[in-house]
Amino acid sequence: MHPSMSRQAIPALLKRTLRYALGHLLVWSMCVSQAQAQTSDDEIRVVAHPDVALQSMSRDTTRAIFAMRQRTWPDGRAIQVFVLPNRDPAHARFAKEQLNVYPHQLQLAWDRMVFSGMGQAPHRVRSLTEMHDKIATTPGALGYLERAYLDDAIQVISVE
Amino acid sequence: MTRSKSFRWNDGSVATLLCIGVTAFTATKGLANDTLRTAQLHGFLSQALVITDDNDFFGPSSTGAGSAEYTELGLNASLRPYPNVLLAAQVLSRRAGGEGSDAKPTLDYGVVDYQLTSSHDRTLGVQAGRFKNPFGLYNQTRDMAFTRPSILLPQSIYFDRTRSIGLAADGIGVYAEQRVPAGTLRFRSGIGQPQTGSDLEEQLFWGAQASISAAGPSVIAQLLFESDSGKFVAALSAADVNLDIDFSGQPADFGFQPWILSLQYNEDLWSVTGEYALRNQHLHGSAPRTFDATGESWYLQYERRLTPEWSWLLRYDSLVNDRQDRSGRQYERSGLGPGYSQFADDITTGVQWMPTANLMLAAEYHYIDGTGWLPTRDNANPWEASKHWNMLLLQLSLRF
Repeated sequence: MHPSMSRQAIPALLKRTLRYALGHLLVWSMCVSQAQAQTSDDEIRVVAHPDVALQSMSRDTTRAIFAMRQRTWPDGRAIQVFVLPNRDPAHARFAKEQLNVYPHQLQLAWDRMVFSGMGQAPHRVRSLTEMHDKIATTPGALGYLERAYLDDAIQVISVE
Repeated sequence: MTRSKSFRWNDGSVATLLCIGVTAFTATKGLANDTLRTAQLHGFLSQALVITDDNDFFGPSSTGAGSAEYTELGLNASLRPYPNVLLAAQVLSRRAGGEGSDAKPTLDYGVVDYQLTSSHDRTLGVQAGRFKNPFGLYNQTRDMAFTRPSILLPQSIYFDRTRSIGLAADGIGVYAEQRVPAGTLRFRSGIGQPQTGSDLEEQLFWGAQASISAAGPSVIAQLLFESDSGKFVAALSAADVNLDIDFSGQPADFGFQPWILSLQYNEDLWSVTGEYALRNQHLHGSAPRTFDATGESWYLQYERRLTPEWSWLLRYDSLVNDRQDRSGRQYERSGLGPGYSQFADDITTGVQWMPTANLMLAAEYHYIDGTGWLPTRDNANPWEASKHWNMLLLQLSLRF
């Protein structure tokens, strides 16, 4: 009797303990993921028009394209670069986090292209909403968005 | 063809080439909407007030309230008829003292640019037409105030008084870009007819009557390394310019071979830039006086970005026309002019304020020992120029 009872009691105790622990883990992990979602909503991601046949780019390539030195995608089509105003906080975060340069360096690079006949300036947009719309509707477009603006109309490009 | 109208001030070849280019592209493409959508227009305007105590710089700056004869106005257009083809041209109207007619618009550059390769690690392109010479860190956009750290570029290297000699050339240029482990290598080179403006005739040969023309194509090349984040930039530039000089029927050859080493370090809030140049100049043939001298130019510059709107600059800039005669003593002894016209040491400090992205106000002060880069057109008699002089510049610049 005794041994069999204890054999049933142990799994029951174990089950109860496990359920308790799992429950707490679930609640805890939900809290954590929610907190992460809150902090990463404004994380900047490089995005492209869905027709762009690339899922990832090196940081060097990304920098060359946003500096307007590389004009075409690997398939030969024109790259359309979109950026926010220099003093927009999202632009500053994009420049620093994704390209590891400062906004004033980018502006100087563009000026040196435009005023020497070596290239063109990027297209300017006024807001992240406009950025989203332009990227979604312009073939060959490349830009950046905060995570909260991501959806199926655009493609995220990971920068490695 | 409004384009061809804006080029009428220039003699033909480049404008013709561009027109043929534009016509050919527009004919084959029927100037499709796609091409028009790639059109961009940009421009800039700068107006300065120059105030000096003794010598005149860019107009009568030492009298009255100073000189307002330093004006720069540029307008450029670009098109991409194909993804790997760029058409770009800029018209520049610039006055820096001299006659009002100097402000007559000229074609600053006009190129057909074709990229043969553009991949993730390599770019190779050619430019045909009038291209800006890649010379030092600032030459290609030297007239656009927003790309300059100060109102005047360091005159020892970016001398304004004989600026046309190194400004641009009519010919063919190539550029290549190669990613390397720590950054990017960029090579640019060009061969073409150099520009010969009236500044050279006034400035180069002590006011002697001379007519100047290009003796043949000039060659220029630059190799530049930029680290990944743009923190570190290093460049070596070299050029070979040869001109035919006619001193009232007496032919002579003038040659100019400069080398420039450029180094720059950039942090978020500050930059340090230094450039060092050796400039060989020679005049051979039936000239009133022949010479073969190597000049030395260098500057060290510190820029501090105080806020996103305000920046401050401090610079020491030094020019010597002849390394064998640094003080100009031999030059003076030969009776050619004062020794202090053969060098210039310039201590500059200035501020730039950009309340918006398209407006800049700048002020700077120069304390100068020597008249080595003082324009002759502003100071006809070199003996009357003061050795020590001070200059204050104020400038308003707009862009779009």
